[in-house]
Amino acid sequence: MSVNKNLKKVVIFGSGPIVIGQACEFDYSGTQACKALMKEGLEVILINSNPATIMTDPEIATRVYVEPLKKPFVKKILEKERPDAVIPTLGGQTALNLALDLYESGILEALNIELLGAKPDVIRRAEDRAEFCKVLDSVGAKYPKSIMIKTFEQGLKAGESLGFPLILRPNYTLGGGGGGIAYSLEEYKIKLAAGLHESPTSEVLVEESILGWKEFELEVMRDKAGTFVVICSIENIDPCGVHTGDSITVAPQQTLTDVQYQAMRDEAQKIINAVGVETGGANIQFAVNPENGERVVIEMNPRVSRSSALASKATGFPIAKIAALLAVGYTLDQIQNDITKSTPACFEPALDYVVTKVPRFAFEKFSGVKDSLTTQMKSVGEAMGIGRTFKESLQKALISLEKTDIPLPYIQWTEEQLTMPNSQRLRYIAQALRDGLSIEELYEKTKVTPWFLEQINDIITFEKECKEIGFSQIDLLKAKRLGFSDATIASWFDDVDEKQVRHHRWQNNIHPRYYQVDTCAAEFSAETPYYYSTYWSQPIDLKSPKKTVVLLGSGPNRIGQGIEFDYSCVRSVQQFQREGYKVVMVNSNPETVSTDYDTSDLLFFEPLNRECVLEILKVTQPEGFVAQLGGQTPINLVPSLIDEGFQLIGSSKESIDLAEDRGQFINICKELNFKIPNSGLAIDLAQAKKIALEVGYPIICRPSYVLGGRRMEIVENEEELSSYFYRHGSYITQENPCLMDQFLDKALEVDVDLVRGKDWSLIGGIIEHIERAGVHSGDSMGVLPPQRLKKEVITAIEKLSVQLADKMNIFGFLNLQLAIRNDEIYMLEANPRSSRSVPFIAKATRIPLVDLGVQGMLQKGKNELSYPLNDWKDMSYVCVKGVVFPFKKFQEADSILGPEMKSTGESMGRGKDYSEALLKAFISSEHSMPYDGEVFISLRDKDKDDFKDVASELINMGYSLSATQGTAKYLIEQGMPCLVVKKVTEGRPHCVDRIRSGKVAMVINTTSGKTSVDASFSIRRSCIDYSIPCITEGDAARSFVMAIKRHFSRDFDTYSL
Amino acid sequence: MNGYLVLETGEVYKGIFRGGQNRAGEVVFNTSHSGYEEMATDPSYYNQILLTTAPMQGNYGESNNVWESKNIWIQGFICLEMQNSPRDNSWLQKLTSHNVPILTDLDTRSIVLRLREAGTVWGAIVSATDERQAKEIANLLINEKKTEDKDWAFKVSSQEAYELDGPISNGVKVAVLDFGSKKNILHELQLRCEKVKVFPLRSNAEEIKSWQPHGIMLSNGPGDPKDVAQAPDTIKALLGWKPIFGICMGHQILSLVLGADTYRLKFGHRGSNHPIKDKILNKIYMTSQNHSYAVDPKTIPDDVEVTHINLNDGTIAGIRNKNLKCMSVQFHPESHPGPHDAVGLFDEFLRQLQ
Repeated sequence: MSVNKNLKKVVIFGSGPIVIGQACEFDYSGTQACKALMKEGLEVILINSNPATIMTDPEIATRVYVEPLKKPFVKKILEKERPDAVIPTLGGQTALNLALDLYESGILEALNIELLGAKPDVIRRAEDRAEFCKVLDSVGAKYPKSIMIKTFEQGLKAGESLGFPLILRPNYTLGGGGGGIAYSLEEYKIKLAAGLHESPTSEVLVEESILGWKEFELEVMRDKAGTFVVICSIENIDPCGVHTGDSITVAPQQTLTDVQYQAMRDEAQKIINAVGVETGGANIQFAVNPENGERVVIEMNPRVSRSSALASKATGFPIAKIAALLAVGYTLDQIQNDITKSTPACFEPALDYVVTKVPRFAFEKFSGVKDSLTTQMKSVGEAMGIGRTFKESLQKALISLEKTDIPLPYIQWTEEQLTMPNSQRLRYIAQALRDGLSIEELYEKTKVTPWFLEQINDIITFEKECKEIGFSQIDLLKAKRLGFSDATIASWFDDVDEKQVRHHRWQNNIHPRYYQVDTCAAEFSAETPYYYSTYWSQPIDLKSPKKTVVLLGSGPNRIGQGIEFDYSCVRSVQQFQREGYKVVMVNSNPETVSTDYDTSDLLFFEPLNRECVLEILKVTQPEGFVAQLGGQTPINLVPSLIDEGFQLIGSSKESIDLAEDRGQFINICKELNFKIPNSGLAIDLAQAKKIALEVGYPIICRPSYVLGGRRMEIVENEEELSSYFYRHGSYITQENPCLMDQFLDKALEVDVDLVRGKDWSLIGGIIEHIERAGVHSGDSMGVLPPQRLKKEVITAIEKLSVQLADKMNIFGFLNLQLAIRNDEIYMLEANPRSSRSVPFIAKATRIPLVDLGVQGMLQKGKNELSYPLNDWKDMSYVCVKGVVFPFKKFQEADSILGPEMKSTGESMGRGKDYSEALLKAFISSEHSMPYDGEVFISLRDKDKDDFKDVASELINMGYSLSATQGTAKYLIEQGMPCLVVKKVTEGRPHCVDRIRSGKVAMVINTTSGKTSVDASFSIRRSCIDYSIPCITEGDAARSFVMAIKRHFSRDFDTYSL
Repeated sequence: MNGYLVLETGEVYKGIFRGGQNRAGEVVFNTSHSGYEEMATDPSYYNQILLTTAPMQGNYGESNNVWESKNIWIQGFICLEMQNSPRDNSWLQKLTSHNVPILTDLDTRSIVLRLREAGTVWGAIVSATDERQAKEIANLLINEKKTEDKDWAFKVSSQEAYELDGPISNGVKVAVLDFGSKKNILHELQLRCEKVKVFPLRSNAEEIKSWQPHGIMLSNGPGDPKDVAQAPDTIKALLGWKPIFGICMGHQILSLVLGADTYRLKFGHRGSNHPIKDKILNKIYMTSQNHSYAVDPKTIPDDVEVTHINLNDGTIAGIRNKNLKCMSVQFHPESHPGPHDAVGLFDEFLRQLQ
């Protein structure tokens, strides 16, 4: 044993709520590290404010604190726990920054806590550009010329000397936040100001452009003895200029000679040594000039990262686990390679396959935002495809995005779409090749390395040949080996559909086979059951004598479907195992815990589409498949999997239809005498106007095939209804009429999650939304237990929910959304699956909801359950769900909340009472809490009366108020002093000038209706740009003020789960 | 065109024959991700068919600058997919113009699994209309190849002695006994010396001594060390006279001369990711490897110290006899392809010559 004997208790920091640039990869790394250290017999204390993570499950660490990752809270925990050390390298930039903060304020020293994995000077040398450049100089590495500036004037001078285009990199920000490329002086000035503001140290590195250079990344590890290994090399298809998180990337690198690669490896080794990384993982990004091979260093992260998670999944080498073991004193040769079980972990994985990662974007969620990629990351998730060849892996990865089963469809392209990076560029490239552009021409336009263009050309050429010869003549095996989906092949012919292709393929016994990800290109035998499909392999037997379930995961993160579903999937595995099942996991998201090789009994890293899942079901022959845990992705697959004869576990397809089909759902609600909002269908404005009279304003309008709240708007009157039809009329047809639902203005909304089995049901919890109806449940804050609902209403909700579950014959999970107005309960929506709120409820109530859900799915009787059916209301803490939005990353986005979900992540505040929980939830969601200053208020008329007491509370707390004419007049009439500020349309200086000048500490802005929303956009946008809290809903404002008041008192504590 | 890899044990793998002539050789696999040219021109691959586990080959074209000798020595090249765009400098064309048979579009992993389980075997890459014909052609080629004289190192060794000038004036002189040296061994020595002289394999000790070198390098080379003629006697006569440094074949021959025995590994070590524990430089590093034989630990004489261990399987990767001033390593500190981590061993050798 080499583990440091003085080390008994360590603290691990998580990375907080999911944001763009920091997602579930840190749940994966943290969970892996916790498990490894627990196994070493260490006491592990975990701190993370994100309740949707696996790592915050009480079983993962000795003690788990769901608390803000901020100094005052963490300090309290450290004082309580008195650990020997903190490992700050597993929780992304958030954890590193927190560690630095704790160190600099002397807390670590005072408590005699060691930093493991990265010392403060190492963090600084890697993160501070000027320091990093010194390191690079010391080892003779080149880097783009750059100047660190601290003021706007210095910035202008720097821009002049370096010439455009220029890259801006604010210091100490994550995901390149606040950075970007400036092509002109005008653009540069805007980005410079924003960058200076964004950097916590008000420093921006202005850098010479290396646009168009090839970009590479090495994932490396080092132990205390100095042993150095490269775990994975990654090559970006998108040349420099696109954030690596937004690039399509390939592992291992494909276009470097051994000479070039080894030179890069040598440089990486020198850099990690010179930076002083003693143990652990790091990544280093390089750019290579395609003209002459000149190489420069872009940056380095002295910690595990998104790309190290990718590298771990791509190679099978568990970087985070090994990093944790190295941090506590092991050396690489002392650790076994988990996969081979016979060789040590000090080696460099060899791959006999190719891995492609593609980002998933959400531009459609933010109206007015341009689909353009820069050095600031914008993607919300990613999928990975493994294949024997690049072509196979690329097409699998694109299919894994779950946007379409036809990865390279026929589309129109423009010159700009080829030359300026955007989320669809690969598709435009493919089309341009179809349209006859040469590789040389495309290289000129895109600077994508010709090798990749040639690969895409191979795909296009084969497609062309196939279309000419007709379906019956196609070399189907060759097509599959090139990665074409059945759907793509079907799309080439008018008279062939996907099912025909599939059955034709099956008749010819053309199936994908499965190979192991084994870290060593088959040189050693591997024990670990981590598989990918390929049409370049031999059949192997994966059937098990044990009864098996196939668990369908949730695929790439997207807004509305993320880590919460991975939690349900992972958590369910052990319960299925306890029930005697072998568990097969299917997922395509490399960031997740579910795709860790030791989470399930058998892991398939595969696209979650009909074709791939069917093949897995065929080869594993399970008792059934589970579709309730991975969100909407598996639910959508249910019909086609059942159609091919496979068994669904839990609620039947009929039960699912009852919830999914609006008409059927309304019918059962009517049967049960539940209230539902009035509704109707309209195919044009004339009909809509008539229906509006029956339903009654306000009305929620949406096209009937709507996904995730798209084009969903609340209209208050006939004028707005006309405007709605004017703008969205083209999406409304006879086949897809407009759904018009009565909007329950000022109603409270709640989420209910319940599980049901053979003869029992259990309510997991009722989350009361803080915002009133109209805000998407994913975007609204929530509190458990409810603070405003009456006891008898809660009892009634419980009763109705169970009644509905019984009626629908649910086995497993059911999520309900209800609205309550004047103590009357309206049923809004039912989801026959585990929901986004399940992990929150499980953490808040400590009910093992997923485990019970599994037993429900398996139709266990009450006497067979592993856990007591506790009452969720027996909670000793109040828990508030905070929400995190990505508005900052999208320059044109509006922060107003509505029926369309826009948040990327959530936090949990746990407190002895409501205000303590609120305070923590707000702080964890990165709201700054101004102690004093001016509060600018702009309210719509109907909110004014409700807001009166909040305003006077603010004055009592010492804030001054300012408002535009209407609101100010109201406040003054109520006897409150208020400064009158001009509206934007009333001339300058106006309210936005005031916000931008830094005079405003906080903004409260409620508004509705298209015209008013547009008019007040710049108010909200300036708040985002300047990181000023901006609350856009009345009840949220009330709770924010409550939280600030609590913050004033400094009366808060921390509590472990 | 249909192409086949036929193993002497009867297995047949069908792929596409991409160019070159039908040939036979020992079938071996290498797990390096890059460096196909360095491998193909390494004389240690004499009489071997090289299969790369990395599926995509030829990606970065070719360039004579990285050749490790003047010839392509491999008897065949197998990979899953070969870059086939009409570039000026394609690896496919290069191999074809050297008549090296190329077999692609087949499941290379299943061949690796076969070699791993049952050991290295002879095989042939042939173009044929069907499996039966392929077997007939292949068996003839294999049988013919197996009758060839076993002293492979002699076949690839330089026939004439020649000198290389290094940049160090008043520096040392190193004699290289050439078992089929990679260019980069000579280059690494050259960088550190005033003169390097390459001696043909069957040179005798007197010829070498008369040049008055400060040290002697025993290079890498192909085949079974026990089949190499003359060199053991030469080395025996040089032992203790001047410091000796052996690499790969040089290591195996030195070990034999010192009294140890060698044995054939099941499928050898070929790749760029082999971890080595080095007691001389006192560190662990990644190495480039390419060998079928190893020194038997049970036969190491008492006066010989094991200095390097392969951490994957615990095999001996380096030895030293301080009294006789000789040391040797099984792996390739000169890399090409592979990591440069062990290059310090050349400095260590040179230190002994000062």
